[in-house]
Amino acid sequence: MIMIDHEGCIKCVGCSSVCPRNAIEYIGERMATFPDLCIDCGLCIKACPANVIELFPKVKDISQLPPAARKRYNV
Amino acid sequence: MDKKDYDVIIVGAGPAGSTLARICAQGGLDVAVFDKRKAIGNPVRCGEGLGSREVIEQGLEVPKWAISTDVKGAKVIAPNGKELIWESKETNGWILERKLFDSWLAQLAVAKGAEIHVNNRVVDVIRENGKLKGVKVKNGASSDISEYSAKMIISAEGMESLTARRMGFPTVHRLYDVDTCYQYEMQPYNHQNLIELYFGNKVAPRGYVWIFPKANKRANVGIGIGAHLETSIKQSNVKGADPKPYLDEFIKNNKELKDASTLMDFGGVISVCEPIGKFTMDNAMVIGTAAKQVDPIHGGGIALAMESGALAGSAILDAVKNNDFSEGFLFNAYEKPWRATAGSKMGKRLLLRKVMEKLDDDDLNHIFGTINQEDLAEIVGKNKFAEAAAKVLVGRPQLLKVLGALMG
Repeated sequence: MIMIDHEGCIKCVGCSSVCPRNAIEYIGERMATFPDLCIDCGLCIKACPANVIELFPKVKDISQLPPAARKRYNV
Repeated sequence: MDKKDYDVIIVGAGPAGSTLARICAQGGLDVAVFDKRKAIGNPVRCGEGLGSREVIEQGLEVPKWAISTDVKGAKVIAPNGKELIWESKETNGWILERKLFDSWLAQLAVAKGAEIHVNNRVVDVIRENGKLKGVKVKNGASSDISEYSAKMIISAEGMESLTARRMGFPTVHRLYDVDTCYQYEMQPYNHQNLIELYFGNKVAPRGYVWIFPKANKRANVGIGIGAHLETSIKQSNVKGADPKPYLDEFIKNNKELKDASTLMDFGGVISVCEPIGKFTMDNAMVIGTAAKQVDPIHGGGIALAMESGALAGSAILDAVKNNDFSEGFLFNAYEKPWRATAGSKMGKRLLLRKVMEKLDDDDLNHIFGTINQEDLAEIVGKNKFAEAAAKVLVGRPQLLKVLGALMG
């Protein structure tokens, strides 16, 4: 799955536009992600002009994120 | 909002959606526009440039309050610093205050009788026996999902285009098809009401740096580079294109900008490819940036969006008159004429973009060294390339190989 630093995100929806699985969407004034749909391809990271997307391969749920990442993203 | 049934439902209240809504409402149709954002035009994700021709063709006059400044011409700068200027006395376009511009277009639609609903996100489409019937909409203020039906559903959602995908249109971009961009609004910059474009593979690989003039000595200073490039290691050790360091380097080396303040800092991704292969299906159409109707050279989408909105609008009025909302009818009324006019222009410009991305800095310097300001006026003012291209090729015939490879 991917995590987005919402504070740095500029909401340009570039990530959505290249996501082959519709796994990122602008909802409620921020980018929301759908880990179930994510295939860890990293295309969103390549397209992101603000460098705010981080990839956690094979992680399907926030509870599986490394503790440091959970702290960093406050989840 | 008690009403549940419309003639036309439009997803997205940008220039394409609002233009379409205006024309349909003016023709007496019941129109609803849903936009997921809380305020139309916000956040701005745009360089804010617009040529005057398309707006005048629609019989509209952009109000002064939506325009930041007039544009009188363009200045292009070669990798070796040589400048070419094309300038005319008349206004050729504007740099807009985009938030206000989008709001103005929406207001025109409402004045003609269209309904606009912000903070309403289309979450899915509704089908009945395979036939597109309506949309499911979530209001941002509640968890309720409401269903609305319409004879026509139009995606005018811009880059994200998720409703279009749900309807079955192939709107996902490949990385090669987009430029990843960064832009600062800066002040002060003593511009001459010219658009400035800086080329070079060191300045902006497969792209350029732009400086767009704005009122009060402000300027949009931005960059776009090919998103498929691998210029640096980004997050999670993924290699990719990173436009911001290039822009920062440009600003550091610009005498005036290096000490200027930054008023806004943002970025985005621009479509610079061919439009999607299909704009119409039964009861549905895609218009504007959602259909990748974006100029592949400068990445501008507003003019094409308005043009497409107007064409789609008259197609829908025709469809209602004939009570025919089939793909075939919509294709003939909207897609076919679009491809014959705007699409054909876009195709030529895409070819030019593909030629330009094959050029190295020496080629670019040669081109800028060969053509003069009159040639540039022909190119920019009249969209005529043949003479300038011939001159360039006489001095550097090896460039023919580039063309040959593309025609291949």
